[in-house]
Amino acid sequence: MDLTVTATPPKAARKRFPAWFVYSLLTILLWGVWGALTKALSADIDAYMNQVLFSIGVLPVMAIVLVSGRLAEGVNRRRGIFYAFITGVLGGTGNIAFFKAFSEGGKASVVVPATSLSPLVTVILGYFLLKERASGSQKVGLALAIAAIYLLSL
Amino acid sequence: MHIPLWLIFAMVALAFWGITGVTQKLSTNAISTELSFLWFGVAMIALGLTVLPLVLSHGHLAAKDFWLAVAGGTLNSLGAYTSFAALEKGGKASIVIPLCYLYPLLTIVLAIAFLHETLTRPQLFGIVLALVAAVLLSREAPGQTGQAKR
Repeated sequence: MDLTVTATPPKAARKRFPAWFVYSLLTILLWGVWGALTKALSADIDAYMNQVLFSIGVLPVMAIVLVSGRLAEGVNRRRGIFYAFITGVLGGTGNIAFFKAFSEGGKASVVVPATSLSPLVTVILGYFLLKERASGSQKVGLALAIAAIYLLSL
Repeated sequence: MHIPLWLIFAMVALAFWGITGVTQKLSTNAISTELSFLWFGVAMIALGLTVLPLVLSHGHLAAKDFWLAVAGGTLNSLGAYTSFAALEKGGKASIVIPLCYLYPLLTIVLAIAFLHETLTRPQLFGIVLALVAAVLLSREAPGQTGQAKR
């Protein structure tokens, strides 16, 4: 997937590391902090309120995307928008369950690694719905993911 | 076997986010990532408005909690943005996506350091397996498009 980005990593970081690597580390930082922050807030904010506030937090990033000037329509606008909207609804519903997992006592250090296994479902659905073949890595990953979920529940 | 409620909710989140991996692909196969992200955001706001009546009767919300929760939404969506940017800047999907899926490592460090969480031995082993599994699961067969988080 591609997205135009106007921001650039700090100059010193660019010299030492390629931009894609810096952006990847930024992703780890942003998502990693989000997991711990969400757990910290779960004692004071319930899951539904958290989702309401989460959606407000998406607005600045939507604004960045809006001004990127790359809102090309693509090959099938109606179909693409339909699935994007479904992605948002399902993603938000998943968020509520994620917030609930914390408010029900789940630890950030266990819930976040467990939910990071969501590609497990993607790979299985991709095989059956999109006729995508799973790579060797993914097949091993499927087995390990199931074992990991069992161990995390202990 | 007793299954804790938090685990059930975590598995529900896993299932919903897993399905979005497919719907996201179907969307970006038809329109640009940017347009897809915009409509993803519109849906997030629509969902927020839908659940709003459930929270209106709630009591006082501290300003600090309000802004931290809003910041959470920004952190998460900005993370999606930087993961796209890593691919845009020439990173191979087979490296960038597994690398990004190491984010739970940071959460674990922060949770232990600041939230004082402790882990059982099986959970520790499970975390190691989960990290390896997440990286392996995100390595798609050649010729297939990469998938970012949600």
